Amino acid sequence: MSADVELSEVSVTFGSFYAAKNVNVKVNGGEFFSFLGPSGCGKTTLLRAISGFQEPSEGKVLIDNKDMSGIGPNKRPTALIFQNLALFPLMSVSENIAFSLEVRGVSKEERKKRADELLELIALEGQGDKKVHQLSGGQKQRVAIARALAVEPKVLLLDEPLSALDLKLRQRMRTELREIQKRVNITFIYITHDQGEALTMSDRIAVMNEGELEQIGKCDEVYNNPLTPFVATFVGENNPLYGKVTGIEGDKAKIETADGQYLATMNESKKLNIGDESIAFVRPETLFIPRDGDNFDNKIDVNIESFEFEGNLKNFYASLKSGAKIKFSVPNAIDTSSITSGSSIVLGFESSKSVILPKASLAID
Amino acid sequence: MRPSYFINFMMGIYIFIFFAYLFGPLIIMSITAFNSAEFPSITPWECFSFRWFNEGKIAYDGQHLAGLLSDWRLHDGIISSLIIGAGVVTLSVPIGMAAAIVLTQVRSQLRDIYYSISIMPVLFPGVIIGISTVVLWDRIAGLGGEGFISDIGRNGIFLTILAQTCFISTYCFLIFVARLQRFDQTQEEAALDLGASQTQVFFKILVPYLSPAIASAAVIAFLFSFENYNTTVFSILSDQTLTTVIASKVRLGISPALSALALTIIALTIIAAVTYEVLRRGAEKRYTESQEKFVKEKAADNRINKKYKAGFKIPKGITAILLIVVFATYGATQIVKNDLYGQSCIDAADKEKKSKFLEQLQTLESNELTDEELSGGSLGGNQDYGDIFGDPSLFQDFGGFD
Repeated sequence: MSADVELSEVSVTFGSFYAAKNVNVKVNGGEFFSFLGPSGCGKTTLLRAISGFQEPSEGKVLIDNKDMSGIGPNKRPTALIFQNLALFPLMSVSENIAFSLEVRGVSKEERKKRADELLELIALEGQGDKKVHQLSGGQKQRVAIARALAVEPKVLLLDEPLSALDLKLRQRMRTELREIQKRVNITFIYITHDQGEALTMSDRIAVMNEGELEQIGKCDEVYNNPLTPFVATFVGENNPLYGKVTGIEGDKAKIETADGQYLATMNESKKLNIGDESIAFVRPETLFIPRDGDNFDNKIDVNIESFEFEGNLKNFYASLKSGAKIKFSVPNAIDTSSITSGSSIVLGFESSKSVILPKASLAID
Repeated sequence: MRPSYFINFMMGIYIFIFFAYLFGPLIIMSITAFNSAEFPSITPWECFSFRWFNEGKIAYDGQHLAGLLSDWRLHDGIISSLIIGAGVVTLSVPIGMAAAIVLTQVRSQLRDIYYSISIMPVLFPGVIIGISTVVLWDRIAGLGGEGFISDIGRNGIFLTILAQTCFISTYCFLIFVARLQRFDQTQEEAALDLGASQTQVFFKILVPYLSPAIASAAVIAFLFSFENYNTTVFSILSDQTLTTVIASKVRLGISPALSALALTIIALTIIAAVTYEVLRRGAEKRYTESQEKFVKEKAADNRINKKYKAGFKIPKGITAILLIVVFATYGATQIVKNDLYGQSCIDAADKEKKSKFLEQLQTLESNELTDEELSGGSLGGNQDYGDIFGDPSLFQDFGGFD
């Protein structure tokens, strides 16, 4: 059983500080939905508002179209997985998993049966008698999930549960989480500051900054068509090119920068007029070194300053005439040994791969 | 000689002096409990005897010197102390726990104020707590006329429980605060989120977490109550606790029965401490074994499974143990060699003392004392007061002795 979760004009204030400001989201039942944002952006506050630990100062939280105001966390059809997991250290694994059944007065045999079922789901059969401290990081993670699922929640809330794990385990847990979600088919609401996690697992993501929603959409939508300069630079990497709009051709706009003119695609909901201060964004992987026959509609002269080897990619850091910095990446499979520090080259990029947005602050300012 | 040896040597001497200073009086006191003499002493050694643990003795001058078993005042005092200790534990532990939990719920400046107020009772002199409790309850008892309120307001044991709880609950509070500081409050939230009510969170999460603190707070509260004197001496009114009995005994002159009592308490303390330590180590061993078993299960690596040979280890306290054994053997051989034990020795000593006493009495009676000797001689004595026993007018107001 899954349920819709709707936040309707939710604001949470602490004194005069807005931890969340006028947030409107509708999460569909059975969806894997992520809130993505830098630390302190209010995403955890929203999660606490959904789970009932924090009453919204304004607005309503609706779960299954029912207003949740005044209903405590122990009465909501949600289960929360904490950042530090908050497993009970004095109880065994089974006792942890069956805790929610115990407090409801479910009989011992029933509890054991259910705990065994859940242990099987998380591939920890026969390990129910262990103490929590005898488990490894990934196993603890799975126990926390099983404990939350034992409540049979309609919505599972996850507060950066993977942040304490090492890289390999984190990658494996991403897949596992996704699989568990498909198996139990309930709504997952996931909180993270890691865009990689959000993009790989989610059906949709909501990008947040300073308590406000910047953009909601499918992963590729958010990545390819960012609505704000913040989203453009927070989700993935982007090179900003500052300038003024000098011409408009259909859905494309021409931007005049200190280093030349470029053509970039406008977002449908963010139309620009001639003379507007704006920023064109071009991602490192869409900047190419032109080969014979290539014909890009934008060309850019750069001076290589340094480069680094990342494995699958080689990253180059270059400067433009005006002194602006730019980064571009080349797949390792392409031979770039002739390009060294100090060499001047011309790069090209397609206007369809570049977005132009009204000027606003970036995520990395 | 290398400097490190020198430093170690000096360190050894320092530690020896330190412990001698700390435990010397206790050891000497313990030994005096086994000397049959009326006054606690090691030299002269009269006879080795357990009489001070038993019935005590009738002194050669007819006075009864009670031993540990025959001293009913001591027994009453111990019983009152135990009752008071139990009462203090049952009140202080919940009060301290509640106060500490409240501290986790209040914020910022209020928290500091609350903390200061909570620990204030330990800064008050115990005497003042004792007196103020008596004064307050005397007024309360005065309100009720005859009956329950009046009875309880003048009941020393009840007042002492209240007075001691005033400051002992603060120590309990501090123990709980220390434990709660390390409590992960998200556990409470997790339990709530899993559907537990606040009551269930308290009994299933918080109380199990606090159980070690509850145990240590109970022990500390009991010990503080048992050994308290300065508050108790006022609030106990006409009753007696162990400490007030001992204090009143010391005022009349100390007896080896007190040494016997001290030794009994020391022995009980050591037995309790050793038992606790043995149990704790057992639990720790079981824990490490389960951990090792877990590690072995996980890593099917033979290198980890290698058994270590248990070598013979010299206990660290060997020097101290050897010293005690040597001294004890020496003392025991001296006692046996000189026949300084058993009933015959005691009888002989009593006989000798009695004859000496009679001899002195005879000498006093037969000797004619000079005026100078009667007035106390040149050393003072009663010369300034004259013959007070010869002047009946002095006792007119006093009413005489019973």
